[in-house]
Amino acid sequence: MVFVTGIGIISAIGKNVSETLSSLLESRTGIGKIHHLQTIHANNFVAGEVKYSLQELENLAGLKNSNYNRTTLLSLLATQEALLSAGIEDITTHRTGFISASSVGGMCHTELLYEDFLEDKSPENFIDSHYTGAHATDVAKHFGISDYVTTISTACSSAANAIMLGARLINNNILDRVVVGGTDALCKFTFNGFNTLMILDKEWCKPFDNNRKGLNLGEGAAYLVLESERVVKAENKKVLATLSGYGNANDAYHQTASSPDGQGAYAAIQKALQVANLSTDKINYVNAHGTGTANNDLSEATAMQNIFKQNIPPFSSTKSFTGHTLAAAAGIEAVISILSIQNKTIFPNLNCKTQMEDAVLFPVTNLQKNVEINHVLSNSFGFGGNCSSLIFSKN
Amino acid sequence: MAIYINGTGCISHQNTIDVADFFENAQVACQQRLVAQEPDYKNYVPANMFRRMSHVIKMGVAAAKISLQQAEIENVDAIITGTGLGCFEDTDKFLRAIIENDEQLLTPTSFIQSTHNTVAGQIALLIKCHNYNFTYTQQGLSFESALIDAKMFLNENKNSNILVGGLDEAIQPYFDLLLQAGEIKKQEDIIVEIENNKTKGFCLGEGASFFVLSNEKHKNTKAEIKGIKTFTSLKDGGDLQNKLSLFLQELNLSVNDISLVLSGNSGDVEDDKILNETNRNIFSQTNIAYFKNLCGEYFTASAFALWLASAIIEKQEIPTALVNKPTQGLLIKNILILNQYRNSEYSFMCISSC
Amino acid sequence: MENLIQNLKVQIIEQLNLAETKPEDIDASAPLFGEGLGLDSIDALELIVLLEKNYGLKIADPKDAKNIFQSVKTLAEYISSQKK
Repeated sequence: MVFVTGIGIISAIGKNVSETLSSLLESRTGIGKIHHLQTIHANNFVAGEVKYSLQELENLAGLKNSNYNRTTLLSLLATQEALLSAGIEDITTHRTGFISASSVGGMCHTELLYEDFLEDKSPENFIDSHYTGAHATDVAKHFGISDYVTTISTACSSAANAIMLGARLINNNILDRVVVGGTDALCKFTFNGFNTLMILDKEWCKPFDNNRKGLNLGEGAAYLVLESERVVKAENKKVLATLSGYGNANDAYHQTASSPDGQGAYAAIQKALQVANLSTDKINYVNAHGTGTANNDLSEATAMQNIFKQNIPPFSSTKSFTGHTLAAAAGIEAVISILSIQNKTIFPNLNCKTQMEDAVLFPVTNLQKNVEINHVLSNSFGFGGNCSSLIFSKN
Repeated sequence: MAIYINGTGCISHQNTIDVADFFENAQVACQQRLVAQEPDYKNYVPANMFRRMSHVIKMGVAAAKISLQQAEIENVDAIITGTGLGCFEDTDKFLRAIIENDEQLLTPTSFIQSTHNTVAGQIALLIKCHNYNFTYTQQGLSFESALIDAKMFLNENKNSNILVGGLDEAIQPYFDLLLQAGEIKKQEDIIVEIENNKTKGFCLGEGASFFVLSNEKHKNTKAEIKGIKTFTSLKDGGDLQNKLSLFLQELNLSVNDISLVLSGNSGDVEDDKILNETNRNIFSQTNIAYFKNLCGEYFTASAFALWLASAIIEKQEIPTALVNKPTQGLLIKNILILNQYRNSEYSFMCISSC
Repeated sequence: MENLIQNLKVQIIEQLNLAETKPEDIDASAPLFGEGLGLDSIDALELIVLLEKNYGLKIADPKDAKNIFQSVKTLAEYISSQKK
């Protein structure tokens, strides 16, 4: 059994857990006009930007001239809050690890200097901070975490896999305590990438709506502190939730598209239920991947119908608040899932009005309070057919 | 619990596809950039998938296929890869297109192939593997991260076969970036004996090395992975030596049980200090060989070293390019890989005969 | 029309990196997707950009591309109909 004892988050809907909760309770999306990302498309699209400049993020972290890029600063801020919330003062008292996730790492900085490099203008060295794992090295060092540090990069399921790995490292008695999650900053590279796939909605995304047009990109970071039963007992720690199940499977259908029957998603959910030793009727809420693309939402809906049959639990995609934060998404949605358990609340799926023609399910579109939530399933799927599901449970 | 290497596939600067040829003809390389000797990929990759694949994807998929063929299996219970750089050729291509076309008229192919898990995903597609699929990226410990996961996976899932690989590409723009950052050794400074360097910098290499691992022995089993350990914050050489003693103790081995050390000197006089000190202090009586003058320095060069160690144990022979004293009759029982990347990431791997 | 079809074949081969295919191997009436050349959704996106780049024709919704991209012939017909 693995316990969540700390959470930290920064995204378009707030720079910490309490701001995030307020936005969710007030159904206030963070998706809007693009201010910070330098792109010629800024006026034609909306995005879920973190509302701070690089300099402001550095100030928030209490740093000066750190030379950290946006990805690293987002990671550092969310990690700081997670450690604080877990009440960890001395990082060296237990075997502690840092497992992060990112899709493009330092690309937000690289892309600003690449033209100079191509034109042989020898810009400052950016290659050391470009590597996707570089932020993890810096953040772990900043907090003195050294027993195990690594980064997972499996596109949009990355943070789910980081969380899963952390749990396994504890269950295999390799670590006692591990900070797990992910980070991704918006950058021109991913923005243009998703634009070439023609799956960006120019307006607010409408996950699971019949007239959905695509996703909104977002950015952010979120981390959980996972601790072993031994540590939790010895230190009499306050437990926010348990991580009771996890599963990863591959769709093996197409490099980017999900299979119409959601085979990979189905297998990931089933594995997570097996690990948690739960039957499908025990799941009280599903925080869906729900990107808002035609392909994902239908494939995920089909997988849910196949798993849950007639009894599909209440579900929503909170990407309608944060945008799709790629490798950070599963971290952000893990924090939201835990807030859901703690506050006995199901947060709504914004902007969904019309039921999908080719599926029988419909998400929760209004805030639901006083719901007894014992088990939450959180889904995350990525390019390369990578499908992951996590189950968080009330302690 | 034992971890057996039941199949290997390696593409590198040397002719590692033909093992017999490698043992006879491998040569120390003295270039700044050591590109891979590539096989005819059509033997491993179907044409309709081949057309989109970048250099590192081709290397990775082919090395994976070779290792599966050797292990005589068609599918696996997990695919785990490590890459420090990821798919840089496609990343560079898409970045250039963004800059050259001012964010307009871009096409998706290079973008979708630029994610770090492209190779693991393509292997899954190719062999229709719906199982566990992870990709790690942690600079010089990317492959080690994959191997540590593999070890846990085998512990959690008895009787499974898993595919683990390390891969990185040394394409021109990346080489140019490192050159500009001052990391590449000057051509005139390159010497054959990599351990005796007096200058800064390394020669960039590339490759893909894949392994089929299992708890179960197989008629083609080559070697056993006894242990793996990684470190990121070393105080000094003494610290590494203490950690090494502990590592050997945990494996119930003494220094005398080590038949051969494969030392990950990169050729950079500063970065290699701690390894040289450790080799002098602990392994003065042990055979030491260096491998990065065969494959070049890259984030996942340790995967090449694992391939090399496994081949040496299977053949009970050390390629002449590696040692300058005769080793006939030497019983090669345990090989220790000591690796470092930029003097900031260190790893130990112990590979044994079985 | 014949010229346009010939040009399209060459452009498609280049854009989609069909190194093994020669223009004469492509049957102008054969389906581009699924069977025939065996192209997929990513190729469709590549072809949408090809149309815009080489012929100034913009397709806003990939769903509209389905009919246009049935074969090289339908593609050529679409281009010439838009030019009038």
